[in-house]
Amino acid sequence: MTKRNPISVPDGYFQNLEKRLQQIPTQEMQPAAPHGVRRLAPYVAYAASLALLVAVGSLIFRKPAATEEYGWDYVSYLAQSLDPDGLVELKETEELTEDDIRSYLLASNISVEQLNMLSDEEAY
Amino acid sequence: MEGLEQVFNSIVKQYSERLYWHVRRMVGSHEDADDLLQEIFLKIWTALPTFRGEAQLYTWVWRIATNETLNYLRKEKVRALLHFASPDDVAVQKVQADPFFNGTEAERETAKAIARLPEKQRQVFIMRWWDELSYEEISAITGTSVGALKASYHIAKEKIQLNLSDAEVSK
Repeated sequence: MTKRNPISVPDGYFQNLEKRLQQIPTQEMQPAAPHGVRRLAPYVAYAASLALLVAVGSLIFRKPAATEEYGWDYVSYLAQSLDPDGLVELKETEELTEDDIRSYLLASNISVEQLNMLSDEEAY
Repeated sequence: MEGLEQVFNSIVKQYSERLYWHVRRMVGSHEDADDLLQEIFLKIWTALPTFRGEAQLYTWVWRIATNETLNYLRKEKVRALLHFASPDDVAVQKVQADPFFNGTEAERETAKAIARLPEKQRQVFIMRWWDELSYEEISAITGTSVGALKASYHIAKEKIQLNLSDAEVSK
């Protein structure tokens, strides 16, 4: 194997290349400071997403301590949590019938998976 | 910012030609090398404020260039596979069609044999044979041990020789 370089470049290529490359700083946006917010932004976004997920998850799945013994109270609590506008306000002392709950659940577009989860919780 | 520009301009002056030849031998065509070199220097410029001096500037610049080149070749490979073409054939075709190739037929065969090497092996071979970097320098750039680099270079050389003798036989 010989070491002669068999490839070439167009005439004046390297002079032109140097000029073109040196224009990069003026063409591009100024580089960000190393410790700037931009550097941390992806991590902050991940942390925020995780925090939101945990908050929503605990809101939905947490069993309220005061009503641990009553399955239907848990259902009403869950129903409140599922209500996107927070319009349903059920007082702890309020007596709820099964019909109340059923009609609420029908109106709240609860999913089959969530209903299954509720039936699993009937042991309360 | 002016200070950064000065550093960047000195990197361009010092490394652009050398990196061009490295990239050109890795990708196989002048046009691709030119495009990729722009990308590499853009990356160097955007990463320059994060350069902390733990590595030598020389190693840092080469590391960006070699990583970008490997990324480019991986994308090329995917592109070739999406078009149901063999990545090896595409690489060899580039050498064959290079209008700036003015060597002998034997040199063209050697260039094709180098193009057939797996990317990392090709990189080690080119850095050692053409760029004349020491194993220690290549090790600092690639993060691979000197022993592994020596083995990789040896295997690459064997493969090239084998490819060349196969080409000779098939004539």
